Amino acid sequence: MSMKVTGMKCSSCGTVSYPTHAVCPSCRNETFETVVIEGEGKVLTYTDVYALAVEYETRYLRLAIVELDDGVRVTGHLLADKPKLGMRVKTTIGTVREMAEGAIQGLQFVAV
Amino acid sequence: MKSVYIAGAGMTRFGRSEWPLMQLASVASLAALKHANLGGVPVDGVVVANMGAARINRQTALGSALVDQLALYPAAAESVENGPASGASAVKVGFQAIASGMADVVLVTGVERMRVVNGMEGTDFVASLSHPIAEYIYGVTLPSLAGLFARLFMEKHGVERKHLAMVAIKNHANAAKNPYAHIQQTITMEGILTLPEAVVNNPPIAEPLHMFDCCPVSDGAASLVLVSQEVAAKLKGPKVRLAGMGQATDTHTVHERKDPTDLKSVRIAAEQAFRRAGLKPEDVDVAELHDAFTILEIAESEASGFFPRGEGHKALERGDTQLGGRLPINPSGGLKAKGHPVGATGVAQLVELTWQLRGECGERQVKDAKIAYACNFGGFGNNVVASVLQREA
Ligand SMILES: [Zn+2]
Repeated sequence: MSMKVTGMKCSSCGTVSYPTHAVCPSCRNETFETVVIEGEGKVLTYTDVYALAVEYETRYLRLAIVELDDGVRVTGHLLADKPKLGMRVKTTIGTVREMAEGAIQGLQFVAV
Repeated sequence: MKSVYIAGAGMTRFGRSEWPLMQLASVASLAALKHANLGGVPVDGVVVANMGAARINRQTALGSALVDQLALYPAAAESVENGPASGASAVKVGFQAIASGMADVVLVTGVERMRVVNGMEGTDFVASLSHPIAEYIYGVTLPSLAGLFARLFMEKHGVERKHLAMVAIKNHANAAKNPYAHIQQTITMEGILTLPEAVVNNPPIAEPLHMFDCCPVSDGAASLVLVSQEVAAKLKGPKVRLAGMGQATDTHTVHERKDPTDLKSVRIAAEQAFRRAGLKPEDVDVAELHDAFTILEIAESEASGFFPRGEGHKALERGDTQLGGRLPINPSGGLKAKGHPVGATGVAQLVELTWQLRGECGERQVKDAKIAYACNFGGFGNNVVASVLQREA
């Protein structure tokens, strides 16, 4: 669980972007500090995907876009049995995909 | 800018093909060249649109390969890879060559041969256009982005699954009148939604989207012959002008868009295309929209300017977008039923519209169509090309 998902905070206007860009989408500044993307938020939208591009142990994958309380949005795996639009969740880190180079860690969302 | 005309249009039937990649491309190209009936006028340039051949067919530099197949040397040649918008992007390259005066005749061919790989690999190759760190590693596929988009859009605008089904039913019915379409099977609301067996007939793909909300995986090619006004004046066929094109981009990830249901790139590309053509959405007689997923036909019909936001599904309900309606959308069957060989799609939309404006569409002909519009939707809306075509007397 040592892995963290990170984004960038613009050192000029303070906008947090995830994922990172080479240029701040808000003010075009080019210097940033790294920030950890985590916390609580609400489910903006979700889907159960059956058309998978790689083998998962489950028959479908529950994906969601979550809006964190600081306004940053993230895409990840929703680990909730009864998903609902607007439901409160918090981020956690877990295996999101097995690839040739090994297990990939990423954002998961659990109900709070 | 000089005026650009579409002198000829041709395609292969979409579906599963045994033909190698370059045979698909050649057959469509020769059909378009024959349709254009250029006489002795030489082809100056060839542009080939394709997304996956480097990966799934192990072939690159398709522009040069097509020149060789067609013995068009020493014509200039290039290949365009721009995700699912590759087709209309390639048309834009040809348009620019003629509009700038660098060429008089450009052959634009889109081709894709996807069914050589299994469904999972095919899905993964298209998914590689998503953001590598923030989307792809999560198992995000194009259907999943469409599912995320659909749930939000439907909630916001009161769109129901029956509306999505109406798009599918309409486009299947249109495709049944199109000999080039991949799927030639009509479907019913009962069979895909309301009867108990609909659950089996129409399983979920990316909730709330089901199988009949998604386009098939197809092989195929489509081709256009673009010419300058000088060349068009010498040809016998009806004059179809490529009156305006527009293109716009948006954030790579879907989640970074302030309102993910607002297809801003479609809006901007459409506004550009109409402005450059000197025309308005209300002038359009027939449109081909990028319905890789049924929800997209509804969303693009609004973002392109045909209906107010949140009212695309109401226009659909009224029958406005059917053949015979106020603005028929996807008379070809759309990606939904005509099929979606990715790199060929943007070209194929313009092939259908060229035929429509020439009055050559038989049973699916939109009567007296003079002005046409196409939206080729790349990425999941991060790169969109819009085109406006006009029939001249
Ligand atoms: Zn900034």
